[in-house]
Amino acid sequence: MTTDELEQLLAQQPVALLHRLARGRVHRQFRAGKRRLIELLLQHSSHNRAGLEFDLQALLEERQSQSESGGRRSQHPPPITRKKTTPQAPVSALPEPAISLTGWLEGIGVPEPQPFVPDPWQTEALSALSETDVVISVPTGSGKTYVAIEAARRAMEDNRTVIYTSPLKALSNTKYTEFSRLFGPDKVGILTGDRQEHGQAPLLIMTTEILRNLLYDAASGEIDIRLDTLGLVILDESQYIADHERGVVWEETIIFCPSQAKLLLLSASIGNPQDIADWLTSIRPTACRLVRHSKRTVPLRAGYLHPNGKLTPLFRTLGIPYGHPSQLHPEAKRLFLEYEEQTLPSGRSRR
Amino acid sequence: MPPSIHPVDLVTALRHKHLTPAIVFLTSRRACDEAMDAFDHADLVLPPVRQEAIATALERVIAQYPSIAEHPLIPIVQRIGVAAHHAGHLPSWKIAIEELMRQGHLDAVFATTTLAAGVDFPARTVVITQSSIRKSRDFTDLTIGEVQQIAGRAGRRGKDHVGFAVITPSPYIDLSVLTKGLTGQPEAIDSQFTISYPMVLNLLKAHPHEHIQGILAKSFAQFQLNQRAELLERKLDLLHAQLEPFGPRVCTDWITQWQSFDHVRRHRPARHQTHRSESPEIAARLPFLTPGRVVGLHKGHGIVLRQYRSKGQKNSMLTMLRPGGAVTECPVTSVREVYDRTYDCTEIATYPWCAADTFDRLSEQLEELPLRLPILPILASPSAEILPDAIVQSLDDFPCPTCSSRSACQKDFPTASRLRQEQHRHTKSIQALRTSLWHRFQERVDVLQTFGYLTSTAQLTADGDWARLIRIDHSLLITELIRAEAFTGADPSLLTGIMASLAHDDDRPGAFPRISAGLSSLLRQVRKLAESLTPHDDPPLLRADVAALAERWVAEPTLTWIGLCRLTTMAEGDIYRLLARTIEFLSQLQTLKATHPYLADSAAEALTLIRRGVLEELP
Ligand SMILES: Nc1ncnc2c1ncn2[C@@H]1O[C@H](COP(=O)(O)OP(=O)(O)OP(=O)(O)O)[C@@H](O)[C@H]1O
Ligand SMILES: [Mg+2]
Repeated sequence: MTTDELEQLLAQQPVALLHRLARGRVHRQFRAGKRRLIELLLQHSSHNRAGLEFDLQALLEERQSQSESGGRRSQHPPPITRKKTTPQAPVSALPEPAISLTGWLEGIGVPEPQPFVPDPWQTEALSALSETDVVISVPTGSGKTYVAIEAARRAMEDNRTVIYTSPLKALSNTKYTEFSRLFGPDKVGILTGDRQEHGQAPLLIMTTEILRNLLYDAASGEIDIRLDTLGLVILDESQYIADHERGVVWEETIIFCPSQAKLLLLSASIGNPQDIADWLTSIRPTACRLVRHSKRTVPLRAGYLHPNGKLTPLFRTLGIPYGHPSQLHPEAKRLFLEYEEQTLPSGRSRR
Repeated sequence: MPPSIHPVDLVTALRHKHLTPAIVFLTSRRACDEAMDAFDHADLVLPPVRQEAIATALERVIAQYPSIAEHPLIPIVQRIGVAAHHAGHLPSWKIAIEELMRQGHLDAVFATTTLAAGVDFPARTVVITQSSIRKSRDFTDLTIGEVQQIAGRAGRRGKDHVGFAVITPSPYIDLSVLTKGLTGQPEAIDSQFTISYPMVLNLLKAHPHEHIQGILAKSFAQFQLNQRAELLERKLDLLHAQLEPFGPRVCTDWITQWQSFDHVRRHRPARHQTHRSESPEIAARLPFLTPGRVVGLHKGHGIVLRQYRSKGQKNSMLTMLRPGGAVTECPVTSVREVYDRTYDCTEIATYPWCAADTFDRLSEQLEELPLRLPILPILASPSAEILPDAIVQSLDDFPCPTCSSRSACQKDFPTASRLRQEQHRHTKSIQALRTSLWHRFQERVDVLQTFGYLTSTAQLTADGDWARLIRIDHSLLITELIRAEAFTGADPSLLTGIMASLAHDDDRPGAFPRISAGLSSLLRQVRKLAESLTPHDDPPLLRADVAALAERWVAEPTLTWIGLCRLTTMAEGDIYRLLARTIEFLSQLQTLKATHPYLADSAAEALTLIRRGVLEELP
């Protein structure tokens, strides 16, 4: 938007809107007339133009949806919380009334069975894996296992050994059962400190510590044929690299992972997956591919259940209002305040 | 109003709104068990078809894991379709519950947050009752990542259109932690790289000492340290630019010159000898830092032109000839290396402190110096102070009073000196960030050398060569015990007891069987050795009670699992985990076959004895 355009747009707006826009931006804005207000706003916008345009847009959208819904408006619209860069611009926006419980519960149920079609990110990860290491960081329950299974299948068809590690024995056992069912029991083995089942199978499951030990043994000259033919190493739940006690094992494993094997790191959502990928790129033969997204496949809704059994949506919106933690549903807010008052030691006596 | 919703009401409410199956995360195992008790007389019974379905599914799991056939929770699970799942249960029980959940037979599972990570266990709804979790004896708020991992269990792909995360309060809950967790971006993660003794031994087994720094540089830890160093380097560049206007004036390093001058000026009345506070290492260097000596500085080489001491200044100072004919002042502490090389130097009493022809010759010689020079070995002797008669400067030594740039120096000094101090600070931090891992590695090497696992040239000794195979917590204690022959003649049950006491890291109290005299005296020995190692390694808990429990399991092959559980108040899941950890420790001893055949055999025997009953069921 050019300054002229912005000025024109501002001039078309009612004074009330300009006043709301000026709140926190212009000192003693109520004393200024419309012209002066626009002037002051434009002056202000010289150092935070984006913020002004953003808020203007929000107000315009609000007005539009209001006229669509017949001017309904909640009495105390909470302010938009936004990034720290514009702390002085609390603008009351939020057009929609808070969601109702019925609306919130709508759509519950079981979807029709669908033929399996891999998600684009799954396909992307698999094709990247034929060239290089891959780091996947996607929300819980997205389908990382599918990538692991397909990648393992392809590596085995290539006569390559595959190692799958998890941080927990419990998870290793689950995967052992799952993979044995899929690939046939003679194709899948499991290694623990003192035991091996099908220890020479092409797909081996173990905890990350066991793999680290294998790699140390190999580095000091012990011959392990399985490592020579190693084509793929899958590290599941690799956000464990940040575990205070055990994280170092993931680093050791990645540093000593044979360069001819591809690495596949599966991780829940973390804040800096790019760092992990950049790190791999810096120490491995090929540039690592990062596959990430933060959108949940099955949408999530949040609710509040009062100890007396009353259920209400937790947020004003149907879905999770990402980035806006304080958009609480008025009913949830009221009930929780009531709860706190009654349970806090200093509060009124409990009933 | 109750402080939190009653479990029966909760399940009723969830069923009523079609929000089942649900996982209910509770603060403690106790809370989960109490929730189950609450269903004892509940009339929420399932229709017979579903009860039968559960029974059939359970039978199939029991066929594989007989240990859970008599599980006390089975009646409630079958009748009501709710279950508990926490670390106090056997893995086989947890597998059974996970299987029932996957097949959609259960309406609710009461679990602790340990379930949130790693277990494949989705549901339509997740119920959250807490905003903090117990982490090593303290309650800490859930991180955004943890809240999302927990909430993320809600909504099964292919089985649900939508997932629900329902918060129901309990005392001490902080709602804002949860709302921030649900709406926020997960935190960035940081490397937790540590350098352990086995890591050092295994690295040095496979790689020459001089390659190690390069290997450590490949860690995520170093990657993140480098990111921080680069940030500082950018700041350093900025400072460099800011220092631009404060470059050479009448004297090259007018900032130091002015500082010294200012110092002398202010301290003029006090004529007493300054206290010499150099460390022995620095003091030992002073006699060698004479005019004509070549030294290594932070960046490149320099030739000493004079050594002097300003009044009131802590360190002896050097006037240094630097490449390009620059003359700088620096404290002796900034000398990195003293090289085994000197040049002739004709000294004079005024700036630049040597004769003009010397100055020209030295400047040329400095340019032609090779990058690497032999280092002069200087031994610091802490007792005998070898201090030269450093020149105590007086005001007459300074050209400042009559200098043409005096007023400019006076005016700029505060800013310039602040910028330069910042520059020094950043340079030091960068240095530390780049080398800290290597220093930590060296510290470990020092300890391993003292104990005789490494030679003075950092190669593995005979002991180091087998000790590298012990790659578990408390490895130093274990290898020291082996060297002290503490396990000579130890039978499998004794060995198991000791390993259990090393492996167990939970301080929850409980009642346990009596300890045998043999184990008790061996434990005393272990404790003594562990104490002597505290400067180098954190000591284990070494609980005699858990040791006794593990000992009994191996000493009495006829003891059943139920019999073992009756001997203690410990939950069976905890007993299982204790023995599973002990198996890991024993299996490491087993690898010492070549050097310690008796010990390895005893460990192998212990392993066969431990692996029975429940401990046979899973790999
Ligand atoms: N492309 C797809 N279409 C439909 N369903 C899928 C697809 N990919 C995976 N799934 C299903 O999604 C479910 C969850 O997958 P999975 O267990 O691999 O998740 P995950 O990403 O490993 O989660 P977690 O973080 O819990 O380990 C599985 O039941 C799987 O069959
Ligand atoms: Mg997974």
